[in-house]
Amino acid sequence: MKYLTRTLAVLVLLAAITGFVCYRMSCDPTLHAAVLKHDTMEWMRADFNLTDTQFSAIRDLHNSYAGTCEEHCRMIQEATKARNALKAAQGGDSAAMLAAEQKIQELRTHCETAITRHVHQVAALMSPEDGQRYLALVLPKIADFDHQAAPDLHLNHSS
Amino acid sequence: MNSPRNQLSDTLRDWRVTPPADPNFRHQVWQRLNRQIPASWPAYLRGHAVAWMLVTLLTVSAAALTGHATAQAKVRADRETMVVSYLVDLDPRVQAVLKR
Repeated sequence: MKYLTRTLAVLVLLAAITGFVCYRMSCDPTLHAAVLKHDTMEWMRADFNLTDTQFSAIRDLHNSYAGTCEEHCRMIQEATKARNALKAAQGGDSAAMLAAEQKIQELRTHCETAITRHVHQVAALMSPEDGQRYLALVLPKIADFDHQAAPDLHLNHSS
Repeated sequence: MNSPRNQLSDTLRDWRVTPPADPNFRHQVWQRLNRQIPASWPAYLRGHAVAWMLVTLLTVSAAALTGHATAQAKVRADRETMVVSYLVDLDPRVQAVLKR
């Protein structure tokens, strides 16, 4: 009986060590470090094998796109405020309401086109395989964002 | 008059067996018992080598697969987190909701 217990204990220890080693070997420490630091650029560098030249070109592209993003964001906010004001007004004009909704939708579509163009530009700076992988990862999410809206992104919106 | 059946009964009733005591009997019993208990752990393992090798192979394989699958799930979750963070920064539609 003591030999059986001893053998089982050794087996459990061996299984634990094997599981741990396989876990560590299959992990991606660079990706995890980027998650901990909330550093999306570092994630891109690691996950898409960017060289220093590619990395700085993509960073510049992101920086130049940031202005466009701000502008689109401001326009959507203004259109949404206008629509909400119309909604709040008693006996609001339904044609004006429809036009306001349409304007928001147009802006959102315009945004989606701009982001899609931007990610294609980013992908073009990567190696063909990594660019394809990047697009396959990002493009479906861009389409989903319009339908999901922010609450499904696990973000804190109270601030 | 005694019948043959009664004679047999009488004979059996009077029959006594007195075998000679075997001085090695106790020792021989212990020897047989000890032969069934392995003397050492390696001896035990040698005795059950096939069974334990099979169990070890299955257990270690299952542990390796579990470790690998857990790591892959973590990598997928990390990547998902990063993609969402990245797009939140890029997407004015999300920014507009966040800045409300």
